[in-house]
Amino acid sequence: MSIFQLGAILFALLMFYVVNIHRRKLRLSKIELGSWYSVWGLFIVVAIFPDSVKGIAQNLNFARTFDLLVVVALMILTTITITSFFIQRETNNKIEDLVRKIALDKSKNSK
Amino acid sequence: MTKITKANTWVIIPGYNEAKYLANVLKKTIKITNNLIYVDDGSSDKSAQIAKHYTADVLRHEINLGKGAALKTGCDYAFSKKNAAAVIFMDSDDQHEPADIHKFYHAFKTHQMIFGERSLNHKMPLIRIIGNRLASVLILTLFGEYIPDIPSGYKGLSKKIYQQIKWSSADYAVELEIAAIVAKNKIPYLTVPIETIYHDLDRGMTFLDTIKMLSKIMSWRLTL
Repeated sequence: MSIFQLGAILFALLMFYVVNIHRRKLRLSKIELGSWYSVWGLFIVVAIFPDSVKGIAQNLNFARTFDLLVVVALMILTTITITSFFIQRETNNKIEDLVRKIALDKSKNSK
Repeated sequence: MTKITKANTWVIIPGYNEAKYLANVLKKTIKITNNLIYVDDGSSDKSAQIAKHYTADVLRHEINLGKGAALKTGCDYAFSKKNAAAVIFMDSDDQHEPADIHKFYHAFKTHQMIFGERSLNHKMPLIRIIGNRLASVLILTLFGEYIPDIPSGYKGLSKKIYQQIKWSSADYAVELEIAAIVAKNKIPYLTVPIETIYHDLDRGMTFLDTIKMLSKIMSWRLTL
């Protein structure tokens, strides 16, 4: 086992811990919990047995399994970033509408 | 359409932490008109309290949203609660001469959209003059209409025009967005000469605001 595999396993264990904290604070539903445990569990399996995805990597013409994992990680990060952008913009609009409504309602009540 | 008169035109002044200049601005403005709305945009100083000495129509945002949002609040209030036929925007940093309001009243006799135009002379810092011209040239290039002195906050518009151009920008980009919408939709407008006033401590737009606006203008070209 290489140092990278060891690092990946430790990272996944850290993520398990983070998910556990959120579970204890009741911030995650059962489905969310199951999904996150599956993701990091799969991460550990791939880290320990990298040859398990070798077939997929070769079918997709990746020279190394690591390259496949990096591309998948980038796609996930891009999706999360774009989703966050739209959520943030929507939240900004809601805050603006709410603050303006409060200002107008208060002016009505002060008359 | 309701005839626009001095009686049904309201002046909207948005402000954020302008306690230093506000009293002077409001004192000068109420000599011209009592139809005055101050929108406090989440100030942490005593701006709202100062404004209440001069006008009963003081609106307050609980948090700072930006100039564009404050102007929208003022317009919604003026048109729905005060039966305004038109509004005039003025800045609260004492860089607009309230006496110029008469020029807007006169301009409203023939037009529903009025832009105040400062002379780009020695009173304005050179970097501001360059930015000012650049904004006008960009609007001309992208939307086919040359509108001078776009960054000037001294503007007038009727209720009908407000409904037509209701902007989405909450921040300083509102000035550019209004110009872009007017240009894109070929809305007839008039420019009136206004006084050029610059304080030593001009706190307005920053260079970063300018960069943000330039990127927004490209997106408006596609979406407006």
